[in-house]
Amino acid sequence: MNRRRPLVRTAALLAVSAIFVTGCGDSGSDSSGSDSTATTVQSETSSAIADLTGSIKGSGASFPDAFYQEAIAGLADVAPDLTVTYEAIGSSSGREQFAQDLNDFAGSDSLVKDDEGIDPDSFSYIPTTAASIAVVYNLPGVDELQLDGPTVAKIFERKITSWDDPAITALNEGVDLPSTEITVARRADGSGTTKNFTKYLESAAPDDWTLGSDDTVEWPADTQGGQQNPGVAQIVTDTEGGIGYLDYGNAKELGVSMASIQNSEGNFIAPSIEGTQAALESAELADDLTYDPLNGPGADSYPITAPTYILVHTSYSDATKGEAVVGFVKWLITDGADSYAADLGYAPLPESFREKAIAALDAVQVG
Amino acid sequence: MTVIDLTRDGGPTGSERISLEANLSPKRRAADVAATIAMFLSFAVAAIPLALIIGYVFSKGGQVVDLKFLTEEIPNSYRRVGPGMGPAVVGTVIITAAASVMAIPLGILGAIYLNEYGKQNRLARTIRFMTDVMTGVPSVVMGVFIYVVWVLRFKAQTGFAGALALACLMLPIVIRATEEMLKLVPDELRLASLALGARRWRTTLTVVLPAALPGITSGAMLAVARAAGETAPIVLVTGLTFQTNWNLFEGNNTTLAAQIFRNASQPYEGAQLRAYGAAFTLILLVFACTIAARLISNRFATKR
Repeated sequence: MNRRRPLVRTAALLAVSAIFVTGCGDSGSDSSGSDSTATTVQSETSSAIADLTGSIKGSGASFPDAFYQEAIAGLADVAPDLTVTYEAIGSSSGREQFAQDLNDFAGSDSLVKDDEGIDPDSFSYIPTTAASIAVVYNLPGVDELQLDGPTVAKIFERKITSWDDPAITALNEGVDLPSTEITVARRADGSGTTKNFTKYLESAAPDDWTLGSDDTVEWPADTQGGQQNPGVAQIVTDTEGGIGYLDYGNAKELGVSMASIQNSEGNFIAPSIEGTQAALESAELADDLTYDPLNGPGADSYPITAPTYILVHTSYSDATKGEAVVGFVKWLITDGADSYAADLGYAPLPESFREKAIAALDAVQVG
Repeated sequence: MTVIDLTRDGGPTGSERISLEANLSPKRRAADVAATIAMFLSFAVAAIPLALIIGYVFSKGGQVVDLKFLTEEIPNSYRRVGPGMGPAVVGTVIITAAASVMAIPLGILGAIYLNEYGKQNRLARTIRFMTDVMTGVPSVVMGVFIYVVWVLRFKAQTGFAGALALACLMLPIVIRATEEMLKLVPDELRLASLALGARRWRTTLTVVLPAALPGITSGAMLAVARAAGETAPIVLVTGLTFQTNWNLFEGNNTTLAAQIFRNASQPYEGAQLRAYGAAFTLILLVFACTIAARLISNRFATKR
C-alpha cells in the first residue's frame, strides 16, 4: 500500500485540479443580421433589448425547442447582460410549472385547461411561431407519397395495414407501392404534437378518426411508441414500411421522407416553410391571440400546421424580470424569428399577428 | 500477509493446506476444480459488462474530453457540435458535495447511535427498519418528495433542492454501511479501552471509529457515487442551466448525469458525443473522489 502512495496521490491531484479549473467560455454564435418587413417594430425592440439585464427561465413545449435554443444562443450578441434559459419539458409540464410560479414564462402548443390552476386573467398567449407536422415514412425507392386525411386516419387506426392498399394506391397513380406491412410509430409521451396531429385528423377525417384528440390518445395496441419527436423518427428510420408524425424541423434535419398531404382545397402539399406560412395567412387570430391553422383554407396551405405559444403573466412584481421577459419575447417573435426560424423549419409569424402580439406584450404590467 | 490472517483466524497454515489437498480423493478434487472454474466464470461474466462499459465510454468519451470540454458552457441547441460541460461539472461537484456534507456526518452519527448506544432497543430497531425501507425507495420518489416540500414551498428550483434530494438518498446507505462496519470492530477493543478508563465517547471516537474507518469510507463513497450518478430527482428539482452557476441557493443548476440523460436521447451527433463526454467525466470524477477519500481515511485509520 505504502509503495503505491505517491503515484496515487499524483493521479488524484491531477484529476482533482483538472476538474476544478473552470472558466467562462463564449458560446459560439452565427450572424444575427436581419432585414425584414417589420422595420418600425425592430428598431424599437433592438434598442431596448441591449439594455436588458438579469436571468429569466422558461420551460415547456419541445416542439419549438430547436428554434428557441438557436435564438437564445444568438441573443448573447444582442443582449450580453441578459440570460435566458429554456427547458423543453413538454407543454403540460411547462404549464404546471407556470401555475406553480417555477418559471418566468411557459412554452405551450396547446391551450390552458380549466383544471390546471391558471387564472385566465393572469396570463396572455403570445403566438411565437408555427411549423408543419410532417407525416414521415420509410419506403426505399418511393420518393414521393401523397396521402389525404381519411387515409392517414385509417393508417394510424390500423384499418389499413399494407402499403399497397387500394386507398393508398388510388392517391398515388404511377407510384409502385410495395406490399410491405405498415408499422405505425407514435409518441409514447404526452405531447402537443400528438394533440395537434389528432386535432387535424378529427377535422379532416371526422368519419374515420375515432380516437379523439388529446396530448395522448388510446392508440391501437400494435402501434409503436417513441419518446419525443426524435424517438418517433428513430422507429421510422429503423423500420422498413414505417410511418409516423413529427415536427418538420426534426424531419428535415434527420433526412426522413415526408408525405404530401391533401389540404382542404384538394391540393397535395409537402411540408415546408411556405406551406406553413400560407396556412398562417389564412388563419384567424382570436381575441386571446390563439388561432387554429389546422386543415384551414388556402390553396397552398399545408394542412397539418401547428401553432405554438409562449405564456406570459399579465403582471410581474419583479421589474427586472418582467422587462426581461417582455423584451425577450418581443425580440424572439421579430428579429429572432427573422434570423433563426426559417433555417430550422419554423415559419415566422405574419405581420398582423406580430402587431397584436406586441400590443399584448406592451400591456404586461411590470414592477 | 495471507498466512498471518489465516493463522489469526485459527485456520490452517500454508503448509497444512497443501497436505490437506494432497489427501483429497479424485472425486473431491474434481469437485474442487469444477467449483473453482464455475466461480471464476461467474466472476468473468460479472466483469465483462463492466469492462465493456468502461472501455466503450472511455473510447467514445475520451476523444471529446479536454480542458475546453470541462470548462465551457453547454451549447443550448442539441444540433450544435462541440464542447461544453462546464456548468454540469460545477453543478455535480457542488450539489454532490453539499449532499455529502449533509448526509455523511448525519449517517455516521446515526450509525454510531444504532451500534454503540441504541443496540437493540425499540428506537434503534425502528430506525433500522426505516432505513431499510428508505434504501428501497426509488430515487424519483425522493425527488417528488423534495419537489413538494421544498421546491413548491420556496417557488424555486435550485441546486440546494437537488442536494437535499441526494442527501435523502445517501443517508440510508451511509447509515447501513457504517453500522455494518462498526459491528465488525471486535468487542475486545471496546472492553480494553473501557478497562483503561476511557469513557464511552472517547472509546468510540479514538478506538472504534479509526478501526472501522476504511469500511466507513467505502460506504460513504458508494453513497457519493450513487448520488453523483442520480438523474431523476435532479431533473425534477434543480431545473436546467446552460451557464455555470456557483450559487446553490439561487437559480437553476444542472449535473453531468442530467446532461447525459438530456443529450443521449437526441439523434444528433454533437449531443451524443457530449453525452459520452459527460459520462467519461462523471466516471473520472467519482474515481478521483474515491482515491481522495482513501488517502484521507488512510491517514486516520488504525494502522495494522
